[in-house]
Amino acid sequence: MRLTVNGIERELSTRPLDTLLNALREELGITSPKAGCQQGGCGACTVLIDGEPRRSCLTPLVAVDGATVTTVEALGEPGNLSPVQAAFYEQYGLQCGFCTPGFVLATTAMLERNANPSREQILEELVGHVCRCTGYVKIVAAVEAAARGDVSEAALEAGATGPSRREPEVLVPGSPA
Amino acid sequence: MAKHRGRGIATIEYPTGMNQNGDPSQAWIKVKPDGRIDVFAGTVDIGQGSKTVHTQIVADTIGVPYEWVTMDVSNTDSSPICTGSFASRGTFIGGNAVRFAAERVRERILEIASKEMEIDAADLEIEDGEVVAKGAPDRKLGLADVAAAATWTHGELLTGAGAAFKPYSTVDDDTGEVDSEPHSAISYAACVAEVEVDDETGEVRVDKLVQVYDVGRAINPTLVEGQIEGGALMGLGLGLLESSYPYYPSVEHRGEQFGAYLAPTLEDLPDLDNVILEHPSADGPYGAKAIGEMANNAQPPAIMSAIHDALGVWVTEAPATPEKVLNAIQERRAPQRDGKRVVYDDQISIAAVSGNRGKGGDGEGFLLPDE
Repeated sequence: MRLTVNGIERELSTRPLDTLLNALREELGITSPKAGCQQGGCGACTVLIDGEPRRSCLTPLVAVDGATVTTVEALGEPGNLSPVQAAFYEQYGLQCGFCTPGFVLATTAMLERNANPSREQILEELVGHVCRCTGYVKIVAAVEAAARGDVSEAALEAGATGPSRREPEVLVPGSPA
Repeated sequence: MAKHRGRGIATIEYPTGMNQNGDPSQAWIKVKPDGRIDVFAGTVDIGQGSKTVHTQIVADTIGVPYEWVTMDVSNTDSSPICTGSFASRGTFIGGNAVRFAAERVRERILEIASKEMEIDAADLEIEDGEVVAKGAPDRKLGLADVAAAATWTHGELLTGAGAAFKPYSTVDDDTGEVDSEPHSAISYAACVAEVEVDDETGEVRVDKLVQVYDVGRAINPTLVEGQIEGGALMGLGLGLLESSYPYYPSVEHRGEQFGAYLAPTLEDLPDLDNVILEHPSADGPYGAKAIGEMANNAQPPAIMSAIHDALGVWVTEAPATPEKVLNAIQERRAPQRDGKRVVYDDQISIAAVSGNRGKGGDGEGFLLPDE
């Protein structure tokens, strides 16, 4: 089986009828897709297959041979978040974080198809994702902020190390070193 | 057949910390030679934001920017004991532990700064990472310089430990009284639910929840609101959808399908109107009490009461599934005996009236309805 995962071509030895979720988590060590209900009901295992959000727990590896798979690891990194990631950060659109990769990927794909979704469209698009912490309010706020482009520079740079953390002027003042 | 609207209210009170106390949280803090603060504590952030709140408490208590504080809360080897993230105790008890530790560190910083600046420690304060002489703001020394002096000049470590603990309160078996307060604080909340009930299908929809929470001082209002919103949907689930019964806690008869256990989704999201009411506690960190577990308690009774307002019948067991709502409606319409409302239910009526089920020695006696 061959897959392009987050821009890197991979040759996989996971059995063809095993799930894409297991191949990503167990063979490639990409753990952002979560093994939630593993029945397609919760949305936590969502990945983008050729740009479309799909349940990796219900997807046999053989069905996506040759496809391109994207997980949140490819969207951004600490200090350089994608606008959707930054909006979730800025609007406090997560608590425990288990459902977050699924929500972020589904939102990313939705905004690529429809840059200006209505509130009803957002609810309909994301209704298959279950969140048990936030009550969804701030998740919807994050999606709306991302759609409006209402994301601050500071949020895009969240998680950065170095000067943005207000590092001291002198690293070790008084040190003989 | 029609849709009915109703409004109901419920109020709750909730204790902060483990019942009967005896649940310690501890923390220790060290200052690095560059003036940055490392906190070692055991209160794990499960998404509720305790790491953020504890960082705020440490930063404000010592007097440094938030960004200078690093929390290490995930290593059970390096961190001291915390009983855990439960019992609505993270902000109050865990927060007090880091506060007490930070107060000691602050004293140590002023001690070294006093030597360096040749000003009595009582005349110094720490503001935004600088030790400043009271009344003479131009006389100041950065915390990085104080920490460096401690390290390279005085050969000392700026550190401090703190522990929050209320002793276990014992219950007197005869009177039921406890020998000390069994909790750290009491939080209060009220919830008003507006529902629409379909008397044909039994379906209930929650349109709006107005929720007021007295959490003492809201150290981080955004995080408190996050708990209120999250609790709203959990409470809505407990009121309308979620049940582990009838066989809980046996795992043998639980639903096999994820879809058989219904959790609220975006479809169920009502309008939420949240109010945070501040009545600071006497001894919580900066007057905080708690939100935590109380966040999903008020909604189910408010929803039940709103259903009663809409239909005039009580659903007496949560969740108010369509089946239970329809049963409640039907029960009110059920025929009465001798003009009186008499309820006999072979599921809930207690069958045995005595050891021999009401029969005399001759086996005669009145018959129970199922015989």
